[in-house]
Amino acid sequence: MNRNYILLTVLMLVLAVGTLFLTTDDEPKQIAPEELLQEIIQPTRYVTTDQVAKMIIQGDPSLLMVDVRSADEYNEYALPGSVNIPLEELLNEGNMGYFGVPGVKVVFISNDDIRADQTWVLTKRLGVDGTYVMKGGLNCWMQTIIEPSQPDADAPSVDHALYAFRKGAQIYFTGAESATTDDGNVEVQVRRREKTNVAAGGC
Amino acid sequence: MHIHERNPWRTLIAVSVFVVILVIGFLTMPKPLIEYEKSMDESIEALLNGEDYFYPWELEDVIANKPDSIVLFDIRDNFVFGQGHIPGAENLSASTLADPDNLERLTALRDMGVTIVLYGENELQANGPWMFFRQVGFNNIKLLLGGYEYYKANEDDLYSTIDDDAYFSGFPRFNYAEMAAPKDGSDLNADQDNKPVQVRRREKTNVAAGGC
Repeated sequence: MNRNYILLTVLMLVLAVGTLFLTTDDEPKQIAPEELLQEIIQPTRYVTTDQVAKMIIQGDPSLLMVDVRSADEYNEYALPGSVNIPLEELLNEGNMGYFGVPGVKVVFISNDDIRADQTWVLTKRLGVDGTYVMKGGLNCWMQTIIEPSQPDADAPSVDHALYAFRKGAQIYFTGAESATTDDGNVEVQVRRREKTNVAAGGC
Repeated sequence: MHIHERNPWRTLIAVSVFVVILVIGFLTMPKPLIEYEKSMDESIEALLNGEDYFYPWELEDVIANKPDSIVLFDIRDNFVFGQGHIPGAENLSASTLADPDNLERLTALRDMGVTIVLYGENELQANGPWMFFRQVGFNNIKLLLGGYEYYKANEDDLYSTIDDDAYFSGFPRFNYAEMAAPKDGSDLNADQDNKPVQVRRREKTNVAAGGC
């Protein structure tokens, strides 16, 4: 046989064997950094505590709340129906299965919204859609749903409507007695808080 | 006779040139401008171990002395920046962060060893871009706690904020269990309240068991 053919065959065999030694990355599939940055600067991922409360009260089946705090904090108090996935366990096989289910809205919850936002960025890097962050976190939840502050008498009517909704949510979540008022705007309990914008919307 | 047998060296040269061109092509493939330097696990660990923060009281020194080793970047958009910003800060609005010019500038600053401080309206706004930059390898970027709104509220006396903790985030400010306890006296039934309504995990579809 011609010597060149033998050489070529040997060369091809060497290359073929070389591909056996190619190592694959253990890294999970991720989106490109530029794409991630574009997603980060969109503010569409934030949902308010009022929206989450409404979904819980209505029993919306598409809502899945993920509490990203530690297990101790979760056991002490957590929103009804929320699942605990601490940040260090985020990449576990079983936990990743919660994300990416079509039609399910995953809402990340933490004490404030920073940790939840960081978890959102990490899951977004893995290409997960349908994830949201509850703005203000549980601190805001306490200030708006558990103990809503009454707007001033001269506040616009949307504020009063929001306050009425929040009082209803408070009763739902804590079983508080509904305050009976003769007149809608009589200031029965004036509890002034430092942040006056809590009554008018978020935290 | 076969053509390759008539002039064997020509074949060998042609094949060698082909292989060399392939190798050169792979070596000179353009690298993407930015890529992840930290893996997912490393990113999570970096977040858990304590991140790089820049405290509001440190701003007093930066504003007064304008050291070369610290640069402030405002990631809000240009209009809001014009209305008011921290003295000495430059505008690098979030939508232009991935532009090649800005990336070059940031890389140059990193190579010079300059610390970059990012801030937005509040800590939340700058959190995303800050996390992003740390993941693509800029380890010299810090996040201003409290954001611009905290600075504005305390700009007259930044040193006194050393004792304040209003700008810290991530810890509960209330006793949740106590505050949310049922007001009618019944105990908060932990099992009842914390059971997930629907636990739905994504199942790997088995194509062989059904069809496409």
